[in-house]
Amino acid sequence: MRTKSEKRFDWILTILLLVLSVFFLFPVVWMLANSFKTDAAITADMNTIAAFIPPVPGGGFFENYISILTNTNFLRYMLNTLFYAAILILCGIVVNGLAGYALAKIRFPFRERWVLLILLLQIVPMETIITIHFLMIAKVGLLNTVIGYILPMIVNPFNIFLFRQVFISLPDDVYEAAQLDFCSPVKYFFTMVLPMSKTVVATVSVFTFLNVWNDYLWPSLVFTSSDLLTAQIGLNSITSNDNTTMGQTLAVITMVTIPVIIIYSLFSKQIVEGVTSTGSKEG
Amino acid sequence: MSFIELKHINKKYENAERNSVTDFTLSIEEKEFIAFVGPSGCGKSTTLRMIAGFEDITGGDLYIDGVRVNETAPRDRGIAMVFQNYALYPHMTVEKNIAYGLMNMKVPAGEIKKKVDWAVKILGLEEFRYRKPKNLSGGQRQRVALGRAIVKNQKVFLMDEPLSNLDAKLRVSMRNEISRLHRELGTTTIYVTHDQVEAMTMADRIVIMKEGVMQQVGRPMELYEHPVNKFVAGFIGSPQMNFYPVVLEDNLLKFADGSRIAMPDVMLERLGDRRGEMIMGIRGEDIKLDEQNMELYQKDRQHAVVENTEVMGNENNLYFTFGGSLTVARVSKYEISQIGDAIDFVFSPLKMHFFDKDTEESILK
Ligand SMILES: Nc1ncnc2c1ncn2[C@@H]1O[C@H](COP(=O)(O)OP(=O)(O)OP(=O)(O)O)[C@@H](O)[C@H]1O
Ligand SMILES: [Mg+2]
Repeated sequence: MRTKSEKRFDWILTILLLVLSVFFLFPVVWMLANSFKTDAAITADMNTIAAFIPPVPGGGFFENYISILTNTNFLRYMLNTLFYAAILILCGIVVNGLAGYALAKIRFPFRERWVLLILLLQIVPMETIITIHFLMIAKVGLLNTVIGYILPMIVNPFNIFLFRQVFISLPDDVYEAAQLDFCSPVKYFFTMVLPMSKTVVATVSVFTFLNVWNDYLWPSLVFTSSDLLTAQIGLNSITSNDNTTMGQTLAVITMVTIPVIIIYSLFSKQIVEGVTSTGSKEG
Repeated sequence: MSFIELKHINKKYENAERNSVTDFTLSIEEKEFIAFVGPSGCGKSTTLRMIAGFEDITGGDLYIDGVRVNETAPRDRGIAMVFQNYALYPHMTVEKNIAYGLMNMKVPAGEIKKKVDWAVKILGLEEFRYRKPKNLSGGQRQRVALGRAIVKNQKVFLMDEPLSNLDAKLRVSMRNEISRLHRELGTTTIYVTHDQVEAMTMADRIVIMKEGVMQQVGRPMELYEHPVNKFVAGFIGSPQMNFYPVVLEDNLLKFADGSRIAMPDVMLERLGDRRGEMIMGIRGEDIKLDEQNMELYQKDRQHAVVENTEVMGNENNLYFTFGGSLTVARVSKYEISQIGDAIDFVFSPLKMHFFDKDTEESILK
């Protein structure tokens, strides 16, 4: 039973969070509203409340979007990024999942040390090793290729740790039962372990997607060919082009932001769990 | 050679100081139902898991159906197992859980369906067929686990305390169900339990273990009537056997509180020339309060004051102090007394057990 003062605290907290979220929503609403306007309209509405109100839908409503999608490669960049994300989600689950499973369930010398080592790897910022990645990929001649882009991104210490934390609590007797049901270890991992750990699989997928979608540095180093670029780089090159109008810029930014917002709203539960599940409690 | 042979099996866990199982030797015949019983930590599960192949055997040989299987993988030993916590596949329906092994064995789909139909039917799981384990009760889950074991036609069933998570009533009905399955299928079964009632009611033979060492193996009544040591005598039977430190002088049995009982010749013969200090054990139902026995053992009538009672109708226990020990007598419904009542009773001397006071081994011939 919650006490009266606890309930009052809940109310205050809710109101505070609502105010805060409105505060954070302002720029998003402004961006969305103005992405449908011509530059002239944007300038005219500036500094008035109209700056937050989209124009009345009608002819030319999607003008900015249409011109971006037809005159630039942006659609291609977005599809590229989705494709990379899909591959990296698959590879990431297999590689990091198997590593996490080994660290959780298979007995081998210095297992706990390995876990610690992998945890320590997480402290190293991506930026410090990215040159090494770049040199390695350059050396094997994989610059400007999809494989060269994907390879160094597959292994993710945080995801390995996340998987391990969840797998460690899977009951051993299910594995034993599966063995007596003629299930091979590999089959067990794919048909039992992963389905039994849907939540962490979803969490890792979401993190991987956001990672790939938001990454700028690594794709900008690996890719030079415009066919392979990602959405973030496309965004940069389009918005830094002098011919791009203000409205078009906002339309591009909107298109880059929307998938992230969708993902966050669909998977907020998984994201929160992913952030908090490094402790002992698993869902 | 018997169907399953355990020869001098030893188990020492990697970082353990002593053996968890020591010199375990047992021959199991085909179609037998064997129960391993013993207190917690006595090595029952360890032994079973060695037979299954989930634990390495650190000494001795294990034969199943004439083949030495010490190094054989669990899946190739021809066994099916039922686990204490069911170990069902949580993301599969009841039907899939049962069919999974058959699917991996590449059994044709039509045959799988037939077998699953059969298992679901005899286990009464028809209406749960398409449910997931999390939507089943404990008893239903355990039946699914049984179903998973029986469809594969394996040579041996291993069960590790399959009923210990169920409530008392369900345990009784599942007990009958497992017995019935065993009668119908005739599959050799090794059943681990710490519940002597389960062992007594289900098993053809019982193996009693203590601290990793087999104490006695035999048919239920054999263990009940002729326990080889005080541990077995105390473990089998409920309420527990009464034990008294006694001194046997000539033909007189003397208790710590000075009570005496004259031993009949038959018992003296079985005791040979053993005299002096020993432990006498007698079961609650062999302490008699009825007219006939009172008359028969008139001279050795004893007295006590009832300190506590457990009246269940069919089973009634009177507790009192005698011979310096708390004693429980199991009486019929006509002999129930109240707390504080003074009662007369006699021991049925032919039913007494005698154990060495140091080794606790039985000294009756
Ligand atoms: N993995 C292990 N490592 C070390 N020792 C173990 C291990 N598993 C069991 N033991 C020890 O071996 C002994 C026997 O254990 P086992 O689980 O076989 O007992 P049990 O008879 O099945 O008991 P219970 O009725 O509690 O299930 C115990 O003393 C236990 O502490
Ligand atoms: Mg056990």
